[in-house]
Formats: sequence, C-alpha cells, structure tokens
Amino acid sequence: MKTFAGFHGRYWRFDLGTGTGAYIPLDEAVLRRFLGGVGLGAWLLHRESPAGVDPLAPEAALVFAFSPLVGTPLTTSAKFAVVAKSPLTGMISDSLSSSHFAIHGKRMGVDAIVLVGACAQPSVLVDGALRPTDLWGRSSEEACAALAPYGTVAAIGVAGEHLVRYATISNDGRHAGRGGLGAVMGAKKLKAIVVRGEVRTELSDAPAVLAIAKDLSKRSFGPATAKYRELGTVGNLLAFNRLAALPTRNFQSGTFDQAAALSAEQLAPTRAKAKRSCASCTIGCEHIYAFGDAKSVRVEYENVFALGPLCGIGDPDAVLAASKRCDDLGLDTISAGGTIAFAMECAERGLIAGPRFGDAAGLMALLEDIAHRRGLGALLAEGSRRAAEAIGSGSIDFAPQVKGMELPGYEPRALQTMALGFAVGTRGADHNRSGAYELDFSDTVDRLKGSPEAARLAAGTEDRAALMDALILCKFLRGVFTDLYAESAAMLRAVTGWDVTAAELVATSARIVALKKAFNIREGWTPASDTLPKRFLSEGLPDGASKGALIPRERLQDMVRAYNRARGWTDDGWLPDTVYEELAL
Amino acid sequence: MAHSAIVLCGGLSSRMGRPKALLPWRGRTLVEHVVATLRTVVDDVVVVTSSELDLPRLDAVVVRDREPKLGPLSGLRDGLAAASNDLAFATATDAPFLSAGFVRTMLGFGRAAAPVVEGFVQPLSAVYPRALTTTADALIAAGRMRLLHLLEAADFRSVAADELPEVESTRNLNTPDEYLGAVRRDDPGARAQVELFGLMRTTSGAATIDVDAGTLGEILDRVQSDFPMLRLRAAGEVAKNILVSLNGQAFVRDASLPVGAGDCILLMDAAVGG
Repeated sequence: MKTFAGFHGRYWRFDLGTGTGAYIPLDEAVLRRFLGGVGLGAWLLHRESPAGVDPLAPEAALVFAFSPLVGTPLTTSAKFAVVAKSPLTGMISDSLSSSHFAIHGKRMGVDAIVLVGACAQPSVLVDGALRPTDLWGRSSEEACAALAPYGTVAAIGVAGEHLVRYATISNDGRHAGRGGLGAVMGAKKLKAIVVRGEVRTELSDAPAVLAIAKDLSKRSFGPATAKYRELGTVGNLLAFNRLAALPTRNFQSGTFDQAAALSAEQLAPTRAKAKRSCASCTIGCEHIYAFGDAKSVRVEYENVFALGPLCGIGDPDAVLAASKRCDDLGLDTISAGGTIAFAMECAERGLIAGPRFGDAAGLMALLEDIAHRRGLGALLAEGSRRAAEAIGSGSIDFAPQVKGMELPGYEPRALQTMALGFAVGTRGADHNRSGAYELDFSDTVDRLKGSPEAARLAAGTEDRAALMDALILCKFLRGVFTDLYAESAAMLRAVTGWDVTAAELVATSARIVALKKAFNIREGWTPASDTLPKRFLSEGLPDGASKGALIPRERLQDMVRAYNRARGWTDDGWLPDTVYEELAL
Repeated sequence: MAHSAIVLCGGLSSRMGRPKALLPWRGRTLVEHVVATLRTVVDDVVVVTSSELDLPRLDAVVVRDREPKLGPLSGLRDGLAAASNDLAFATATDAPFLSAGFVRTMLGFGRAAAPVVEGFVQPLSAVYPRALTTTADALIAAGRMRLLHLLEAADFRSVAADELPEVESTRNLNTPDEYLGAVRRDDPGARAQVELFGLMRTTSGAATIDVDAGTLGEILDRVQSDFPMLRLRAAGEVAKNILVSLNGQAFVRDASLPVGAGDCILLMDAAVGG
C-alpha cells in the first residue's frame, strides 16, 4: 500500500510492437532516491534499455517521465522529461518540455510512460491503443492539432520520421529539443502519443503546498526573472556579442558585426507581438515576434544565435523564418544551426559544395533537405560529428560538437568554466545541465582563464540543475531561490510527506548526475569523450573583448581532472565501485 | 653610458581592487605609460610581473616573478638578472608622475642611489647595480626581505628631494582614492563610459552614457539618478539583478572599484542563460 503522496507509484510500459501495455510498480525507495523527471527517467532507461542497443532499434526505450511536483500549484512545475539513448551521441539524452502534456500525462495515473518496440506501420498512440495514422508527413503542429480532440499530444515532425539525429518531439508549442529524441520516436514509427486522464495524486500537506506556491509565485514576479518576462532569452545576444562570447560563423569568432539587428533591444520594440507562458507558469518567458508576411514565431536566444550569427546571417526575417521552419519540421535549432554552420565552413574551405556563410536562402533550403534527408541534407541529418567523419580533411577539428552534440550559444574560449561544463556534460555540449556560465558571469572566476579551482563550483551548478530537472522546476526560477536545496526539501515534504532534508537532496542531485554518467559508461564512454574540438584548444579568438583567448589542452585536462576529483570519481572520470554500490542499479 | 630600468608590477593591488598596472592613464594603461617614459631615458626596460596578470604588448622584456609571495625584493632580483646594463633604475608600476628628468638625474649618480622624501627612503624610485643580484639572493635566503637592506648593502647614495627634479615621480597610488585623486588632478574632465544592455537599455532608452571618472558606486549612483527607472544599487552595494563588467573583461561588484578615464562599464541583466 502506497504511503507517500505526489507519486502514483507505477509507470506504464507500452510495447509498440505487440500493442500491449502494463503497469509496473515503482518502489518508494527508487522514487525517493531519484525523484522524477531526468532522475526517474535515467533510472528507467537503465532498466528498460538493453546495454549497447542501437538508439534507433525497436528495443531502445523511450521514456516520458513526470515528477512529484507536476499537478501541484507550484509555479513552472508542469514539466516532463523525455529520456532515451541519443542517436546523435550514443549517450544518454534527457530533454525537458513543458505544459499541459505533463499535467495530463501524469493524470493517466502513472509517474512515467516507457515505450519499447516499434509499430509495424506509422501510428499514433491514443487511449492506450495504437491506431494507424495518415498524419505521417505532416508537421508536428498539424499532428497535435488533428489529435487534440483526444487529449494532449506530443508528436514528431517530418525530421523525426526521417530519423534526423537531432529531431525533436513537440507538444503544446514546446519541444523536447536536444539529442534527437524525435528520431527515436520516428524509428518506432510513432507519429504521436496522446495523453489524458483524471487520476490525480494527493498532496501530503495541501495547505503547506499552497502556501509555498503562493510565496514562490510572488517571488517569481521579482527582478530575478524580469529579463525572461520582459525581454526573453534573446536579451543575451547583444551582451554576449560585447563580451566576444557570441559564437559566430561556426565559432570562428565571438563577435558578429550584424548582432544589433538580431538583438532583443532592437527587435522587441517593433516585432514583439505577444507573450505566452507554459501551463502553471507565472514567469511567461515566451516572446512571440512577427516576421515576413504576417507570420509569427516564438523567439529564443538559442534559435537566433544558431540560425543567425553562427551561420553568418544577420537578416532578422530570415533568421525568424528559419526558426519557425525548424519548429515545423521538428528540428533542434541548435544542432541544425551548428551542423549547417559547419557545412558552410566546409564549403568555404572547398571541402564540399554548398551554401556559404550569410546565405539565408541556402540555410532555408538545407533545413528542408535535412528534414527530408535529400542531397547534402542526408549527410547533415547525421549531425556535425558524423558529417565531419565522412568529409574528412581534418574537418572534425572544427565540427562544433562534444560527444556528437552541437554546442549552444556560449563561446567556450570566452566562457572557460562553461567550457568545462561542455566537456564533461553527459549528453554532450549542454547549457541546461551545467550552469557553469553563471560562474563566468561573476567575479568568482576569470572567464578567459579557466582554472581547476572552479571545477567544484561548476559541478555544483550541475547538481543544482539535476535537482531542478528531477523535481521538475524551470531553471528560470533559479535566481528566485535563496537556498534551492532547503526550499526544494520543503516542497517535497509538503507534497510527498517524506521527511526529506536539504542534505538528502544534495546527495540526491549528485546521485542523479552519477546515474547518467553510469549509463554513458555502460554505453561506451571513455575519458577521451570529455574534451572539446581542437579549434577551441588551438585557435585564439580573433577579436573583441575576448581577443586571443583559447583553452590550452593542458588547462582543459587540469580542469576535467579537478572536476572528476570534486565528484569523488577517478581522475579519469570513471565511477568508483562505491558509487555503483550507492546507485544500486 | 647605457642604463636599464625595471618596472615591478607583480603586486596584488588588493587595496586598489584591480591590477594597478592596467589602470587607465592618459589614454593607455599605467604600465604602458611608465614603460614609455622610461624608454626615453634607458636602453632596455624589464617588466617583472606575476603569472596571473596579462599585460598589454610592451616595449620591454617581460619576466615572470619566480617567487611573487616573497614581495618586491624577489621581483627586483629577477629584474636585475634580466637587465642588459650594469645600472638599473627601479620603479613600481603605479608611478603615474614618473618623469624622464627624474630618472635621468637618479641614473646620473652612477651608483646605488635612492631619494629621501619627507624623511623616508624611496627604494622603488631608486638605482641598483646589476651586480646586486647575488646580494639579493643572500638577503632572500636570510629572510631579510626589505629593499632597504639591498640598498644598504650597496652603500647607496641618499638623494635629498631638493637635489631632484619632479620629485612627484616617487608618488605611488595604492587606493582608489589616491588613483582617482590623481586622475582628477591630471584631467579634471576625465570621463568614463557606461554601456547598457538588455532591459536596462530598453527601459531607459539609453545605450551608452558618458560619466565622470569615479568609483563604481559613484558612477552607478549617477546613472541611477539620471535614469530613476533603473535599479542599480541596493543597500550601498551593486544590485543583485545586474552584472557589471569592467571593459568587457572581469566581472566586478565592488562599489569602491576605481573607474578611470576611458574605462567602460558594461551593465547587463543578471539572469543570463536560456
């Protein structure tokens, strides 16, 4: 008999090959040790995905994990994690998305949905049963709209159908964006999953939850979230450019001479049309900009950086149109922009025929070709690492990836603690699982000279992210908390009834990070994986406030070693037996 | 007769809050200014610095202080070892009023010599024979770390202030007040610049603002006074909701930090990421 609240204590495992599902109990000990979201998702992936499996094989598991806070009035808690072995990296990918899918998925009476097997033909999963679909070939937005009468929908676009290794899964206008989870779903020939239900979890101390929720909501209106509320993340762009931290022309520079034209400061006054928010969110970070002929798109820094400066494109209409097209096709904007920017540099070096930097029409055409795997797009659908391996001629040195995943919009030479975060990240170059850039933007470290002393602090940002991603809470709240661990413990106590403490959550977050690392080791990680492309280790930035900055290989190695030591792992990054014993896999 | 000069800039600049060598002075950094002044008098300049400090390109030989924790005697020892000539004038980097005439006069004594100003020997405006390198090693080994011991070992010539031109050459700057006082006296119209990003730019309508040189706190107060919609200060500190970068390099939060002529303060929203 379940004695704790906030969870259903079971997950739903559905075999797409046989069309049958089963509810499988989840021990309280597992839930308490790994919580929900990426923690529970990673634990289920260990359990449900065979070692060494091809990420696109039927046997590969695709996990949708909810969390104890979903369904509560706590702001930003309507989130879920999608977890699978990434077809882009061969390592774990844990991607987050938000809004009604989380709420209605959990109301199915489960803490997670695990999909295994593959459909015999293109199908959708509705009310626990597979249905053949004629939505194959349609955009994710069209699929979501068509299936809306049956519940809340997560769907793939054309890119997922064509197994593009950085295809997304979309729901409620949001996307589980990184690591190619849409390709995993596409390989299963599953166009969409629809969730609905009425089973709510009880709260252990509802008045306490409500009080915490009211206080958190109130604080979420304060200055710590003002930028997200008023300007959105694209407010980063001009400041990053000034610091020479704005990746430009495939990381050949940290400044872009047309940055102002793409900045929130310049675009917002004329193009901002509306603001939106996810379900259960008081921040409202979604900024909708107009472009072209009466069209509109949600604008984020990462979209604009990847499809703009990274590709040498400064026309806002072109960048916003490309961003919208990525959403429609179901492409991760960061990996799409990164891979195309890599191809543009290859073209400029004469290694391939294709569009060059600044060619907006070429960018749009390549997005289509990638999503449909046509021509050069078939190669680029594999991501920059595989493309570089095929192109050869040393192009791997400037393929903008770590472990196969393309870098987000943080120039590592200009933000060298973040560079460490990229190098050791379990899902590859990642700004959402490591917040080490916060240290670079502080008086704690020298952003242009990474040091081993910063490694412990960098690991701390990963731990905090792991906790927020397991609870799940939006990271835009992080500046709101005075003490994330203590306040999270108070939330969990009120929701679940557990006597959880801040100290327990400190251990929990480190455990989740180790759990993901353990998965990667199982799937073939070696210490050589924790590095950066040669460009960052050998070419100084050419201009701007970070001119001359580079990360000598020895410096990066010292930082990685210090990071591993700070975690209690071996110097090379292997997990000691004590960690495996503690994980109890 | 050819001479050398040594510039010591390996100190921590802890009271100044930022590296003194890199303080702006007359359109360039202080170390560039001092080196350029010395180059009009001597044949070679040796700059002794710490491994942490990234100096601009200088018309000088730059050596890293081998044992920076030992203080100026260690740095001077390293400087003398790298000097090309038998006699070297040694100065700290924070000597904005150092004059060529002063240096020339000091070197004219042709031996170890140090000015005495207001009753105090000034060992960082003094002349040292290169041959003192081994004496410096011996003093360091004996734990006698004061530069005065080195001068005494060389039987130095005391030079009275009235024997010297521009005795202000011996003046050093250790605190923000001393630096900003020197800046204002040298150029009463000294201006710094503030660049606004993100919400601060959209709410104030201002992208760049010229301000008088001053401490960071004074400058933020001035900007906030001109743009009351901004929240730059809280309880005497830099407000938590903003990030402050000095010249696009270090991020700073110390309100007493000196901001000199030509410095640029970048103000950004603290919530970075996403």
